[in-house]
Amino acid sequence: MIRPQSRAFRSRIVAAAALVVATTLAVTGCSASSSSPDANAAKPKTLRLLYTTDEANAAALATLVPEFKSKFGIDLKIDNQPYDALQQKVFSEFASKSSYYDVVVVDTPWAPALVRDLEPLSSYLDNAKLNPGSPQSDLTDFIPKVLYDTSVYNASAPIKQYPNPTQKPNLGSITKAGFDIYGLPIQSNVAVMAYRSDLFNDPVQKANFKAKYGRDLTVPKTWDEYAQVAAFFTQPDKKLYGTTVMAGVGDWATDDFKTLLASYGGDGTLVDKNMKPAFDSPAGLKALTYYAKLAQSGDVPPGSTSADWGTTADSFDNGLTAMTINYHDLKLADTVKGEIAYAPVPSATAAGPHFGTWMLSVNKYSKNKAWAYRAISWLTASQQQISMTKESLHPSRTSAYAAIGSDNPLASFYDTLGKSLAVGVGRARLTNYTEVSHEVAVAVNNAATGAQTPQQAIDSASQKVAALIKSGS
Amino acid sequence: MSSPLTGTTGSKVRGVVGRAFLWLWLVIGLIPILFMLLTSIKPAGIANSIPPVWLFTPTVRNYASVLSGGSGHSEGFGQLLFNSAVVSLGATVLAIVLAVPAAYALSMRAFRARKRVSGWILSTYMFPPIVAVIPIFVFVGQLGLMDTYAALIVPYAAFNLPIVIWILRSSILQLPFEIQEAAMVDGASSWNVLRRIILPLLVPAIATAAVLTIVLSWNEFLFALSLTRSDAKTAPVGLQEFTGMYGTDWGNITAAATMIVAPILVLMVVLRRQMVAGLSFGAVK
Amino acid sequence: METTATPSRSVRKVGGVGSARRQHSGAGPVSGRRRRDGARVVPWIYLAPAMIVLLALTVAPAVFIFYSAFRNDNILGGVGRFVGFDNFVQAVTDSSNQHSFLVTIGFVVVVVILEMVLGFALALPLAAQTPANRVGAALMLLPFAVTPAVAAMIFKQLLNPNYGWVGYYLGELGIAKGADLLGNPTTAWMMLVILDVWQWTPFITLILMAGLQAQPIEPREAALVDGATPWQMFRHITLPAMAPFIAIAAVLRTIQAFKTFDPFKILTGGGPGESTEIINLGIFRVGLQSFNIGLACAMGVLFLIVLSLFVPVMLRLIGRRADPEEM
Repeated sequence: MIRPQSRAFRSRIVAAAALVVATTLAVTGCSASSSSPDANAAKPKTLRLLYTTDEANAAALATLVPEFKSKFGIDLKIDNQPYDALQQKVFSEFASKSSYYDVVVVDTPWAPALVRDLEPLSSYLDNAKLNPGSPQSDLTDFIPKVLYDTSVYNASAPIKQYPNPTQKPNLGSITKAGFDIYGLPIQSNVAVMAYRSDLFNDPVQKANFKAKYGRDLTVPKTWDEYAQVAAFFTQPDKKLYGTTVMAGVGDWATDDFKTLLASYGGDGTLVDKNMKPAFDSPAGLKALTYYAKLAQSGDVPPGSTSADWGTTADSFDNGLTAMTINYHDLKLADTVKGEIAYAPVPSATAAGPHFGTWMLSVNKYSKNKAWAYRAISWLTASQQQISMTKESLHPSRTSAYAAIGSDNPLASFYDTLGKSLAVGVGRARLTNYTEVSHEVAVAVNNAATGAQTPQQAIDSASQKVAALIKSGS
Repeated sequence: MSSPLTGTTGSKVRGVVGRAFLWLWLVIGLIPILFMLLTSIKPAGIANSIPPVWLFTPTVRNYASVLSGGSGHSEGFGQLLFNSAVVSLGATVLAIVLAVPAAYALSMRAFRARKRVSGWILSTYMFPPIVAVIPIFVFVGQLGLMDTYAALIVPYAAFNLPIVIWILRSSILQLPFEIQEAAMVDGASSWNVLRRIILPLLVPAIATAAVLTIVLSWNEFLFALSLTRSDAKTAPVGLQEFTGMYGTDWGNITAAATMIVAPILVLMVVLRRQMVAGLSFGAVK
Repeated sequence: METTATPSRSVRKVGGVGSARRQHSGAGPVSGRRRRDGARVVPWIYLAPAMIVLLALTVAPAVFIFYSAFRNDNILGGVGRFVGFDNFVQAVTDSSNQHSFLVTIGFVVVVVILEMVLGFALALPLAAQTPANRVGAALMLLPFAVTPAVAAMIFKQLLNPNYGWVGYYLGELGIAKGADLLGNPTTAWMMLVILDVWQWTPFITLILMAGLQAQPIEPREAALVDGATPWQMFRHITLPAMAPFIAIAAVLRTIQAFKTFDPFKILTGGGPGESTEIINLGIFRVGLQSFNIGLACAMGVLFLIVLSLFVPVMLRLIGRRADPEEM
């Protein structure tokens, strides 16, 4: 169709080209202004929010809609999309400079590419009228590491990390350093281990374990113990396996590897300060070798080398495995009798479970930015986060963790989540993290299936990631 | 047809083998559809049990839960099916309306450029959607048509247009030319020839082209995902919300899948004759 | 089916379509200078609406893609500039892209050949007009009607080594119990091919069936009288007469196969490793996930070039019968 077939066709192409160029010029011509917030802006009837499905717990957020309506007199209309579709949707919305969504949920790896399209919130946080209950949205209550990793960016250098990520959040020092806040964290996902406490507490299992390995059956704290316990529980004829790996090609495999890399003493963000791949190292090799061995040990369910978050959750929920590492609390299927407990993921020389946080950001092109800010401030406030923990939201505020009493059915989960977040390791800031993550996932998958040795896989991924970092900056 | 095929014992044996292969294929081919239907009416808890449960009390709970939406789902599945129907029918009507006069023009013997133009129109069918989606997304955004039915109807019509024109054009070429000729001699304008003489004779071919366009539009995913938000979101886009980080509810997802597939299956079976006729794409003259 | 073809027309078809072309391109029965002038403008008026829509939705995007492929526009803000062939160099030199192009072509060749052969084998018995075959033709249509995304999800569940029917029943038969068929490049490819064959062979079968049913009976009866063997009849009568149908089926299926996306995205996501990463998946990730529009457009242009080289070559291999004018 692109073969010029006639002179008439060629001239049509030229005309169409002119049209397209004109449109493109029109696109670059318009850009949004970000002035100071208008606290007296007219109240819209509806605020539109683009959100995840399970990934940031859509069910929990949905519970707040009626209360939002009675508090603000505004309908909160939430659209949900699963991860891949959401990423495409979020990028498309900003690419077309659409004002449709007032609030957009943003995952950490997307933020560097999107930060110029997100409304910087410092002037909103500083505006007393917009923060009637809690000045500055009670910024100091956010877990510092979560806030800095998720929300604090320098728009002119979006891949720069905030230099002091343990500092108590302070708006003044953030803006003084040339950074701003581009959203408020709502859900912190971090790798945690879940295990079947009924199996671990079973006297028969305990005795068998002791007889076989000469030590007590305990919840594994090191990766070696983890592999050993996984081997102990594995009985394929009874449809029981030790644990899971998420070794299918996808972000999940990259995340599994990140956790191991950090724990073997490597830089779990995958890319070091000099913008070089950080996994091409002895720690990286150890991590991938361990992972490949576990994936091939037979102690994980069949199909693990094409598994993702969802299939891994299915395996554990259906009683197929004694342990798992995932990013949320789990529920056993009705047909499985058992109990679940949680613990931080094992470690080697260090601990660095992968974590990533979703934030609610104000669309720079929204027509209701002041109200959008009020909405995200309220939705991420301590009280609302505590209320959403009933639907197992993963809070981003210190006070929300403190408020979870031992009577909470998920107390053990939240305790683990809080502890894991404290040591969690985020991702490198790159504008093309998706592609980098894909290359790492391919390497992890190749090592897990045995298609490549861990060293080969790391070498080839390192080379590709280096090229991607170069082209991305 | 039958006498040359059943002439000798050798060909009789071949006939039996051929028929056995055919029916084996048809039966095995039903398994995925059977799996979908059965899983969608299985009670909770046994949807994915192994060995598979074959005797159970059917339930419509999955269908009820899918249609009601809520808790983490933007809208009920019924709305999505309605959107799918509007978009598919709209695209079909548009494609037919555009294609009938175009096909007529391309069948005019005195139209010199017809060969090159029909070659070009057919070649646009090669354009891969994954490549087209980025610019079309940009155009739709510029025109402010994002998340409207039109944003899907026009591209769907365009992508099916080459095939629709092709089917209709070959059907017109099959009509005895003498009918047109007689009308022309009587002084009828070409428009009247098209409207009064050709159109009525073209109805079966239009039905075929329509079914093909409906099916391909109904099943489309990539454009529907890229060009809609919630108002015009179609069922295949909604389907993927049933599988996520917490795992997959196979009862719900197969119920939703069945609701997507069922209308098309029924349409195909009802209009089987037109489909089969149309799938020869006018190679029969 | 329009079976009103006169004997002379059928003979013309069997004899070759070239003669039909000559008849068409000769001056038609339309006569008179007035009519000639009208005939020059009127067809364009009838064509205009369809052509405008096609121009807007295929040619304009193609122009956009060519334009963007030479730039580094970030549509998320910032000003892009002309970067010459940088995007193309990156797209061509990337070993993953080279692999993607090769496996895409390989996939298309394999499924089209398989579906053509199987489609013919199924069309032969299905063409006999018996009551059972009317049911058969209806059943044949079903896989074709299933939404590709749904079909891929269903296959994925059927192939799940822990809960899938395939693993369980193969295990009961003593073969490959609980095998992870998507975890190994060879079997993963086999599953993708099986899914495609399951879904699309009916499409080809029905085209060929329609062709077989439209074959005139006389040449075959004559050959039978002359003592031809069934193979000779198939080779010298059925196959040549079926050529236009075979060409249509092969061309359409090839074009469609190049567009395959949902099954790969859902069933394997390109894995294991990058073994099933067809070019559509790469364009999706670069263009629609990272929004690196320049690179995605360069990949798109390369894809268009491959398509516009591949399809005509295929047309030539099949023969001139695939000339759209004659279809």
